Amino acid sequence: MSSKAGVELKGGMYTFMSLKLHTSDTDIINQQLADKVQQAPAFFKNTPVVVDFSALEALTDEQFDANELIECVRRHKLVPIVASLSNKSSPLGDSIAIPLIEGSVRSAATQKSTEKQSSQEQTEEQNEPSSAIEGSTISREVEFIVKAPLFINKPVRSGQQIYARETDLIIMGPVGPGAEVIADNNIHIYGPLRGRALCGVSGNASTRIFCTSLEAELVSVAGSFRMLETIPPELRGKPAQIWLEDGKLRIEPL
Amino acid sequence: MTKTIVVTSGKGGVGKTTTSASIATGLAKRGYKTVVIDFDVGLRNLDLVMGCERRVVYDLVNLVNQESSLHQTLIKDKRIENLYILPASQTRDKDALTIEGIARVMHKLKKSDFDYIICDSPAGIEKGAKMALYFADEAIVTTNPEVSSVRDSDRILGILQSESKRSKMNEEPVKEHLLITRYNPGRVKDGQMLSVDDIVDLLAIPLLGIIPESPTVLDCSNEGKPVILDDDSEAGQAYSDAIDRLLGEITKPHRFMEAPKKGFLSRLFG
Repeated sequence: MSSKAGVELKGGMYTFMSLKLHTSDTDIINQQLADKVQQAPAFFKNTPVVVDFSALEALTDEQFDANELIECVRRHKLVPIVASLSNKSSPLGDSIAIPLIEGSVRSAATQKSTEKQSSQEQTEEQNEPSSAIEGSTISREVEFIVKAPLFINKPVRSGQQIYARETDLIIMGPVGPGAEVIADNNIHIYGPLRGRALCGVSGNASTRIFCTSLEAELVSVAGSFRMLETIPPELRGKPAQIWLEDGKLRIEPL
Repeated sequence: MTKTIVVTSGKGGVGKTTTSASIATGLAKRGYKTVVIDFDVGLRNLDLVMGCERRVVYDLVNLVNQESSLHQTLIKDKRIENLYILPASQTRDKDALTIEGIARVMHKLKKSDFDYIICDSPAGIEKGAKMALYFADEAIVTTNPEVSSVRDSDRILGILQSESKRSKMNEEPVKEHLLITRYNPGRVKDGQMLSVDDIVDLLAIPLLGIIPESPTVLDCSNEGKPVILDDDSEAGQAYSDAIDRLLGEITKPHRFMEAPKKGFLSRLFG
């Protein structure tokens, strides 16, 4: 838990702004981008964007230079990091000089599920609802990914291990001594916590553990941990929350 | 409908075999056709507690390997009508058991119209214990009032949830019962043992019964007589109460939870 590796490879999900192009006319794009950027120059400066070409794929007959469109985006101090196409192997894809990904923002959920199948991941995740707000020709699309929490409505027994990947863990019942409950997000236990609880295990330091009776063997937030002996006796058996503040683990009654 | 009940605990020496013998005898006494199977292959004990050790010819391993018939292998109890014992092998080990083999035995027992199959599990969480609980519809988790026993029971409850046939087939989960054995109210009062409330709180499953610690239990084992047949003993009565609850009388009040009012000397000498 304490040994620090020099490098670490991790899978993660990030939210990026997506710029969907509905036209190949550089004049229109220039004009509308300039208007947008002017509204909040600081916000847009050096912001990485995904350039969504999916609406232009149908226009294959019409000759246009995709790289010129990307260049046009760069001129407005945006940083195109990747081009998004509904089909990576379309002729348009060959001409684009930046990395490609498949799928558009709107189909994020389906794209996720195909990725999931290919990597053969088995977690208790639900389909993430994604919402896109589409305005004028050039619109800022914001993606909200909300994963359903992992919900356990029976006691977690000694020797059992429950892991909520990329989401919250909610347990209705006791967590027995020798049991381990782990989550990338928060852990909520409506019952006594007698085993180990580790939240934010992939590094999220703003996660917390909540339980209705703190009798834990060990609690950990993003790698900082405390054993039962170091938990103040007056807090034992009481409803409590545990979180990280300035790198220090804090335990307070609820 | 045949009901399969496993008597299990995780920890050894808590009273699984004593409980299996008494539960099976109690059910048979109420008129249910019952068989009790010793799954502790290599450490055969149940036949001793049931007092039929001299009548063992074939055993569970023979039956699993189809070397003997059900009729040849089952030992009929001499005291109670409807009660049969299926002993373990003393010369083999747990690797001699397979799920397919046990499934065949279970099928034969069901076809022979048994009402109850009681599986006496070996200690531990290894193959033998997993075999014993695999086919269970219900489980009697035997626990002594001390922390290590309670923790092992918690562990075995987790295994019941994940490794029983019912869990693997996504059927209704195994019905769990808590049976506290060797309960000594005097020592609970002195803080040397966990109380019933503590144990129920820790394990969070319904309480089937509390069997008081009693020298009668050992005397009966030595005699080869299930303690439930000793109607005068508290332990025997407590097992009878547990049978009532197992058969549906769940509101029956628990007895033997208070320390008996005895003088100092009689407490020392029991």
